[in-house]
Amino acid sequence: MTQDPITLEIIRHELLSIPNQIEKNIERTAFSPLVQEYKDYAVGLVDPEGALVCQSRGSLPIFVANALGTAVRSGLATYGAENLHHGDAVISNEAATLGQHLNNVVLYTPVRAEGVLLGFFAVLVHWMDLGGMAVGSSAVTTSTDIWQEGIQYPTVKLLSRGERQHEIFRIISANTRFPRLVLGDLEAQIAGCLLGRDMVLEVLRRRGTTTLAEAIATMRRQADSQAASVIRSIPPGRYTAESYLDDDGIRLGQTIPVKVAIHADGERLTIDLSGLGAQMAGPSNAGRNGGAVAASRIAAKYLLTPEEPVNQGDFDRLVVEAPDGTFLTARPEAPIAGSGNTIPTVVDTILRALGEALPARARAAHHGTYGVHSMAGRLPHTGELFYNLDTATGGWGATAEEDGAFPLRSNAHGDVPDIPAEMQEALYPYRLRAKRLRPDSGGPGRQRGGLGVVKDYEITHPCRLNLKFERGQCPPWGLAGGGDGATCFVEITRKDGTVTKALKGSFDLTPGDAVRVVSGGGGGYGPAWQRPAGAVLADLAHGYITPDHAALAYGLVLNPDGTLNEAATEGRRQEMQG
Amino acid sequence: MPKLRQLVAADTGGTFTDVAVYDPATGSLGFGKTLTTYADLVDGVLTGLGETGAAPDGIALLRHGTTHVINAFLQRRGAKTALVTTEGFRDVLEIARGNRPVPFDLSFRRDPPLVPRPLRFEVAERIAADGQVIAPLDSAALEALVPALRGVEAIAISFLNAYANPAHEDQAAAFLRAALPGAYITTGSALSREWFEYERTSTAAANAFVGPKVAAYAAGFSARLGERGFTGTLAMMGSNGGAMPFPAAVQRPISLVESGPIGGVIAAADYARALGIPRMVAFDMGGTTAKCALVEDGGFEVQSTYWVGGYERGFPIRTPVLDIVEVGAGGGSIAWVDPQGRLRVGPRSAGSEPGPVAFGRGGTEPTVTDANLVLGRIGGANFLGGKLALDRDGAAAAIMRNLATPLGYDNAEVVARGVLDLASTLMAGAIKEITVARGHDVRDFVLCAFGGGGPLFAGDLARSLGIPRVLIPPQPGNFSALGMLLAGARLDISRSVVADLSASGIATLAEAVAAVRAEALSAAAAEFGGAPATLRAQAEMRYRGQRHTVLVELGDTVEAAAIRSAFEAIYAKRYGRSLGDDFQPEIVALRIIAEAPTARPALAALAPTATAAPQPVAHRPLHTRQGWVEAPVWRREHLPAGFAFAGPAIIEEYGATMLLGSGDAARVGALGEISVEIAQ
Repeated sequence: MTQDPITLEIIRHELLSIPNQIEKNIERTAFSPLVQEYKDYAVGLVDPEGALVCQSRGSLPIFVANALGTAVRSGLATYGAENLHHGDAVISNEAATLGQHLNNVVLYTPVRAEGVLLGFFAVLVHWMDLGGMAVGSSAVTTSTDIWQEGIQYPTVKLLSRGERQHEIFRIISANTRFPRLVLGDLEAQIAGCLLGRDMVLEVLRRRGTTTLAEAIATMRRQADSQAASVIRSIPPGRYTAESYLDDDGIRLGQTIPVKVAIHADGERLTIDLSGLGAQMAGPSNAGRNGGAVAASRIAAKYLLTPEEPVNQGDFDRLVVEAPDGTFLTARPEAPIAGSGNTIPTVVDTILRALGEALPARARAAHHGTYGVHSMAGRLPHTGELFYNLDTATGGWGATAEEDGAFPLRSNAHGDVPDIPAEMQEALYPYRLRAKRLRPDSGGPGRQRGGLGVVKDYEITHPCRLNLKFERGQCPPWGLAGGGDGATCFVEITRKDGTVTKALKGSFDLTPGDAVRVVSGGGGGYGPAWQRPAGAVLADLAHGYITPDHAALAYGLVLNPDGTLNEAATEGRRQEMQG
Repeated sequence: MPKLRQLVAADTGGTFTDVAVYDPATGSLGFGKTLTTYADLVDGVLTGLGETGAAPDGIALLRHGTTHVINAFLQRRGAKTALVTTEGFRDVLEIARGNRPVPFDLSFRRDPPLVPRPLRFEVAERIAADGQVIAPLDSAALEALVPALRGVEAIAISFLNAYANPAHEDQAAAFLRAALPGAYITTGSALSREWFEYERTSTAAANAFVGPKVAAYAAGFSARLGERGFTGTLAMMGSNGGAMPFPAAVQRPISLVESGPIGGVIAAADYARALGIPRMVAFDMGGTTAKCALVEDGGFEVQSTYWVGGYERGFPIRTPVLDIVEVGAGGGSIAWVDPQGRLRVGPRSAGSEPGPVAFGRGGTEPTVTDANLVLGRIGGANFLGGKLALDRDGAAAAIMRNLATPLGYDNAEVVARGVLDLASTLMAGAIKEITVARGHDVRDFVLCAFGGGGPLFAGDLARSLGIPRVLIPPQPGNFSALGMLLAGARLDISRSVVADLSASGIATLAEAVAAVRAEALSAAAAEFGGAPATLRAQAEMRYRGQRHTVLVELGDTVEAAAIRSAFEAIYAKRYGRSLGDDFQPEIVALRIIAEAPTARPALAALAPTATAAPQPVAHRPLHTRQGWVEAPVWRREHLPAGFAFAGPAIIEEYGATMLLGSGDAARVGALGEISVEIAQ
């Protein structure tokens, strides 16, 4: 150690700030709302072996599996480090490596100073479309192999020593339904990647190679030691939990098991996912890196050092066990367009097992699904294709201390804002009629689960709705006697009045149709009869619950004038206590 | 009646009210400082004014900065507010955008909305994204809301797509104003004509929430001054650095969200320009909070969306605000021991009432100021020029009782040092956030410290951050008020103009520039009191299809090639490179800025007047990291330009005390600034 802790701390902040700034730049220079507003991307710096040094704050949890480093390691194997030059930029989205839907394309460039390779600056962006069966590629609900889902770029140089490889740009352009938006976003991705590299080089110039390398090593060591101290606090043992998924999207209604086991020995944390169901026929699979490793890392990060920026050292003591061929260790040919679909449920289940180990941190389940609902079609005046991808926000689970949080994205999503109704209406030919909290959806409990959302769409032009929801059957569970949250569903009301309920699938809509997207609530904590009557009355006044629900779930009895009948409520609650 | 001539700035902070008076006829500057009086904030201003000897009937212009609005938000002390919105969308405020900005915090949740669900009402009406009316406003439904709205003080009206057509909002506002004459009513589209329903609704709700208080405050302020014979013009400092006439401030109180701190940053930028300092951290420590902002090349950044309470858990308002980072650490911040037995500082402040224990105004909880007093860092007798005698024994006893004993110490000094270290760490964190967290090396910056507490902590902060140089400007205790006097008259007029760089696009733009310039000139004629305005035109530009824009200065002539190259240069500087010919630049908005050089003091007015070789006025024990030392006490007004001296030393002046650590080398500059080379 040749340097003082203050210098180290300053370098650490300097490095951390680079992806955060590049993230802002990408958001500001992108062309698709998916990147501008929904912020589906990740920016980071990885070391010469592909280990994550730092990642932007807004990067989604799903990307902490180190999609960036995984792509880089593949590039190192393909080219050899010596053949990755200053000014090269490589793209990769191949299923066998990343194991996530093909829309997630990683672009990276080496950071070299005087010939020495110091790492790679990498930017992952969700490309809006790269071919396949459905508009938007990942929106497909019926694919049965990877080739139906779009084109793969299996580690390809887009820039070679700073020179654009125009052949590749032509291939990209020919293989997307939205060349203008995709190439525009790609420009933002390239510019962010190269600028990020230059900013790292600037730190390097001021600090020197040795100092910088030392700072990077220290960051990993510090992350590991913080994670280690939490792992030591877990009582050694084996902890298990289980849940299930709705179906594979092809054989609707046939549930799929999610069994997880955690083994803690004071030094390491092993997450055993060998109890996951087999690889599915439909597209809700993920490969090992994008699936089993991603889910385990998200859960571990939640437990170990949630307040610290993500670093490889967070996971140096994490072991992920799972055989090939489960739905999160799917083989390279498997369909994976919905690679994120199952992750929130698997993370929830891992967290449930960890809650057994550390009861003070236990938390009821959240709505637990990406809840992808996308609309595609042609704009009325120009005939141009449009595509809007949206995901659900729903209630979160309660804890021993707190009610569940109100509608938020899933635990695999992070700083991913809803696309505003006003933006959707300005860009696409349909309207939102309502976006409201869903009363009674929070699991009853001494601490109530958070509420889901009801969204109503009015269809004014022909378009296609693609749905990928989970947790329609396995409710967001309550804990310690708390009730389950309400489950999600989508309801399509045709112009002629016929109603279809669905969770997965593809539906052609025509003017006059209406779509209602209803997200789930969070689970409750503790018996509902223990919830103070005052808190139940307040929920009633806010319309978070209906009078019927207050009576049934909480035993609340009101006088005719609407005031609380204390004696009757007490009596009802005695009965509930049984 | 005497001739109106004086220009006055009054800055009401959480603890002190500062007043600065400039007389253009003589070029002289006067200052006053009093404790803020919560029961009647105007009292503090009048008392401060009295101290300067200025009479209200001689004042031509009074500019006022206040922390009123931000405090009302942070303490949730605003009006009982209702929201009237489009059927189907009453929960927009509570659902927000559904994002989780702290991705790995399982307990993440946003702060509760300003308007609770029972006060959010829906009415049927619908406007399309292109502004067409799909369904008329249901006036019967609106009328039916009136009884429920009688119980509220303020109403925000925000309809979906109103940015494209505000007709329904205007119609609803007119109806409710007539039906509920006492209520403060605001519409979203009057504050922002940009899309995104959550952000605009949040802006409207925030404006309504603080509106009644600001209206009452402005009315009381005008009346009280009027009683004293004031006939001049009243303005409030806007968060963008411009002064706003009172009526405009009452309509858009959200523009005052950072009204207090802006003055100090304006003044710091003036000193940065005068002294040729390219990179400066302006650091302001008052009684309640510490704030910092960057001054680069003599200017500061203004952001268009401000997150009250922070991006992570707070809510957005759309109004231009100085880019600033704030922490709850000031002289009045209360030190306490948490249930886990850890020493904590802030964010609660004793303010001016009851104030620190040392003030002897009823405070019982020890504060940062009490710790400073116990360690000899501020003088018991000379605080505020001796007007407020400080009670050192009381301060020490409170530290013993509330902190040392529960923590197991038998010595108040050790604990007092801990309180200061903790406060320093919080403040250093804020400085890191605005520098290193944004990719700047904090060591390339000069730390310009002001506010009552800034000069006390600047040396410690600079040392811990590795900053080599500290600058203490003249009048640090009144710096924000000084900055308000230095601010020019400024008004911004924006208009949405969508134009590309084709011949027809340029023609559209040129036409709009001419129209908005004319509008700006007439507004300036009304507001600037006859001073000739100079106009600047800026265009918000992007490549077609992008959402975010960059600001491009337009020259005197509107010409495609020049605009394109200016745009490409700024784009490349910000984002690495400009895009090729496949991407079309477009203009989406035009902004005309009218400025007029108002009569303002020259910085030289604060240059040192002393010429004789100074002597310390006293020596007193000062607690430093090396223990107690006997430090010389200098009076700042005794120090002539060019005078150089070394720490440890105490420099006292009215409203602030500055400390030099051992080995620090100070020098008094020609403008009266004290520049300190920090011993690392």
